[in-house]
Amino acid sequence: MTLNIVKNATCTFCGCVCDDIELHAEGEKIVETKRACSLGESWFKHHTAERLFPDALIDGHPATVDDAIERAADYLVAADMPLVYGLSNVTCETQREAVSLAEMVGGVIDSHTSL
Amino acid sequence: MIYWGGNPAECHPRHFTKYTIMQKGKYTQNGRKDRTMVLVDIRETPSAKAANLFLQIRPGKDFELITALRALIKGQRVNEDAVNETGLPLSKLEELVAKMKAARFGVIFFGMGLSMTRGKHMNSAAVLMLAAEMNAFTKFVAMPMRGHGNVTGADVVMRYTTGYPFGVNLCRGYPRFNPGEFSTVDLLVRGDVDACLVLGADPGATMPQPGIDHLAKIPTIVLDPKVTHTSRLARVHITTAATGVSAPGTVYRMDEIPLPLRPALKSPYPTDEEVVRRIREAVKRRPAWLPGRNGKAVM
Repeated sequence: MTLNIVKNATCTFCGCVCDDIELHAEGEKIVETKRACSLGESWFKHHTAERLFPDALIDGHPATVDDAIERAADYLVAADMPLVYGLSNVTCETQREAVSLAEMVGGVIDSHTSL
Repeated sequence: MIYWGGNPAECHPRHFTKYTIMQKGKYTQNGRKDRTMVLVDIRETPSAKAANLFLQIRPGKDFELITALRALIKGQRVNEDAVNETGLPLSKLEELVAKMKAARFGVIFFGMGLSMTRGKHMNSAAVLMLAAEMNAFTKFVAMPMRGHGNVTGADVVMRYTTGYPFGVNLCRGYPRFNPGEFSTVDLLVRGDVDACLVLGADPGATMPQPGIDHLAKIPTIVLDPKVTHTSRLARVHITTAATGVSAPGTVYRMDEIPLPLRPALKSPYPTDEEVVRRIREAVKRRPAWLPGRNGKAVM
């Protein structure tokens, strides 16, 4: 199996966002995290690219992503005051999409900051 | 530099070495030797070993202590008995004020021990006032120690899209901001919201119980790389790629420096960005909640 080395990778575990990590990836797993702290190391090694979970769940039962997206849209459109919450462990691009979605459904958008 | 109500040695392990006390700067050529570090906390954590001065205060007395410091830096009289209530003698406070004024550039890093305990946002506001008022004597700033990866990015993105950093209500078609009214815990505990989309968070593991109960009652949608506590009480869960590990994009460091992600793995799942965009497109196909609104999202 080939070793994929990524230099200057960015760790998003804590707010430090260290961007000098060297990652060694083998197949679906990260095997080495140079310069990462103990928290960063467990973060990178914990997340694999394996298919461990179903694509989507509706009412606890496995479903397709397409169905789950339609169901999510139904719920958000039907709600009078939907809430979009979290946004901590997603990219800025995702956050922009989320703001746009919140505006479209006329809801509240909030992050961990308010906790 | 003052760390207040935080334990960077264990929670942000590389904060000292990569960003603060150990780094050599233009005016701090000797690195650690040119710097003074003060730690204010209610217990002696491993971070105390790194500090020149450790001030152990009584729990819930942060606001009182900050208020006393604000008075002392301006040379006002303070009630010694009231100061003793914080768990520190007046002499220690005077020592701290002297160190703060002697600094050429001071910074207060405040953690959840300050912002999440008794007083909450009043404590944060007080520490920001303290830093602002110190600028009458020397350069001083304050910065929150952000816990989760890109929570700073959430503040930045919401600021430039809506004008407010968090807890933004768009129910009337324009943004309104009022922490305490439109912040998540309050909305959930009061039972104001009737649907919830959760992404990049696991409130099922961290919220107060009445909030979790409400999330279980309403249709909750979760996007997460794992099936989380929240997923188990949600109606819809969609598995997504892990940010930074297998999903690319931009994230903000706690000092608001944007950094690109360099994912090392390829996930079999879609990214959060893709899923949110597809939900938005699906919403667009449905009747608008406000006439003429759909398709004209302000970005």
